[in-house]
Formats: sequence, C-alpha cells, structure tokens
Amino acid sequence: MPTAVPSPQVPVSEDQLLADAQTGSEAAFAVIVREHQAMVFGLAFHFLRSQAEAEELAQDVFLALHQHLSSVQSARHLIFWLRRVTSNRCIDRVRSSQRRRELPMEDSHEPHVSPRFGDPLLDELLQSLVGELAPDARMVVTLRFQEDLDLSEIAAIVDMPLNTVKSHLRRSMDALRRKLADRGHVYES
Amino acid sequence: MNLEQELRRALRRKDPPSGFHDKVLSRIAAGDTVRTRATIGIWPRVALPVAATLMLVFGGTYYIHRQQEQQARELQAQTEQAAREVVLALQIASEKISAAQTKVEEITRYDHTSPR
Repeated sequence: MPTAVPSPQVPVSEDQLLADAQTGSEAAFAVIVREHQAMVFGLAFHFLRSQAEAEELAQDVFLALHQHLSSVQSARHLIFWLRRVTSNRCIDRVRSSQRRRELPMEDSHEPHVSPRFGDPLLDELLQSLVGELAPDARMVVTLRFQEDLDLSEIAAIVDMPLNTVKSHLRRSMDALRRKLADRGHVYES
Repeated sequence: MNLEQELRRALRRKDPPSGFHDKVLSRIAAGDTVRTRATIGIWPRVALPVAATLMLVFGGTYYIHRQQEQQARELQAQTEQAAREVVLALQIASEKISAAQTKVEEITRYDHTSPR
C-alpha cells in the first residue's frame, strides 16, 4: 500500500525511504531517483562520453532498480546496487558495440565555465583521456575519482580481484601522466 | 594541485539534463521494463562461441574429407599412369622382338637360297 509522500521539511532516513518505495510508494521512489541520479548519470557520462547514451543508460538503470527493488536490502546496498548495475551496463554497452569514442556533432559539448571550479579545458582533456582507457580500466578510474571509493569497494562493484583493480589503476595513472606530459601538463607520480 | 585532485574535479558527479527524473517516472508509469543480465538468458552469451565451435568442427571435417578425396584421386591417377607406361613398354618390346624375328627370318632364307 502506498505510503505518504515524504515531505521535504521532514527528514526521512534513507532506509525508511527505501522501505516506503518497496511497499509501493512512487513518491518515495521518485525521491530515490532524485538523490542518486547525479551518481548514476555521472558514472555513465564519464564512461560513455555521450550525454544521450548516458541519459538512456541511466534511465534503464532506474527502471531496473524499480523492477528489482524488493531485492535491495538497505540504503547502503541500494548505492552498491546502483553503482554495480551502472558499471556492468556501461562495460556491456561498450563491449557489445565495440564502439570507439566518437562524439556526434550534436552531442559534443563546449566545456562550460564554472566559477567554482578550475580549468574547464583541463577538465575536458582529463575526461577525454579517461575516455580513451580500456573499458575495465576506465570504470576503475571513474569509480575511484567520481565516487572516491577505495580499491576493495571498486573490486566488489566491478567483480574483479583486488590486485587487478590495483593494476588497472596504476597503469591508467601512468598512461594519463604520460599523455598529459605530452600536452605540457606535468604531474609528479 | 596533483593529478588525483584534478581527476576528482574533472570526474565529479554530474546532473542529468532537466526532465530526466520525469522521464524515468513516465517510463515506469507506462509499464516500460528493461532486460537485466539475469533475464537476458544464457543464449546471447554462448551463441557466438557455440557457432564458432560448430563452424570449426564442420569446417575441419569438410577439409579432411576433401584432402582424403584429393589423395585418392592422385593415387588413382598415378596408378593409371603407371599402367599406361607398362603397356607402352610392352608395345615397344613387342615391336623390337617382331623386328628382330623378321631380321632372323630374312637371314635364314638368304642362307638357304644362296649358291654354295
């Protein structure tokens, strides 16, 4: 039976929100989508480097969540589930299409200048270089720096041995430093 | 700023385009569903390896069969060639013997008719 819409004024615990959504509250589910959409869309966007594809994939992830809501055990598990499903779908999509990153003209975006953040051109360059990494390594790097996860958490999400994750991260960082140095941006190891 | 900090900034979370939230809820309301790994089933994942294995097996069998046929044809051709050469050799020998016999008969006739 649907429960009452959570009021923005009254803080509701994330576990309670999940419980409400599991009992059929579409309003509670809507709050969950709103809370986690930047995480899911961000992972997909940084991985796929296409706004349209990232949006489609993120929508599919939330649809899948709605279908499998009953299997989610806690708010903490919900975040793990979203990260894992997003990662799997991103990697599956790239592998199935064997696509190389080519942005359609309407999808390419000018780096927007934000006064709160640093050099948007450097951000764009870093995103582009991360987008050139192999799929598994790209997802490790994206989870590491977007979600600030430790390596064991990443290993659990992408279902890889810890040493493989360490290796992906080390090699990716070396490759990024090399490519940045070629473009005049030198960073110490 | 070091590279790790630069990456944290460049790869920070990103809000989806406006309307995202409504699109998700609309798809749910419309009863839209997505296929998950569990519902996709095993066939899409095993179809390609199975097809490749079958092609290798049938391709290999066909190749071996063709090789055996080719070897049989070559062996038959060699046998026929050898038989032809034996017949030719016998013909030549027969002609030589006939010629020699004719010569012997001529010499013998000459000896009998010549005056002593």
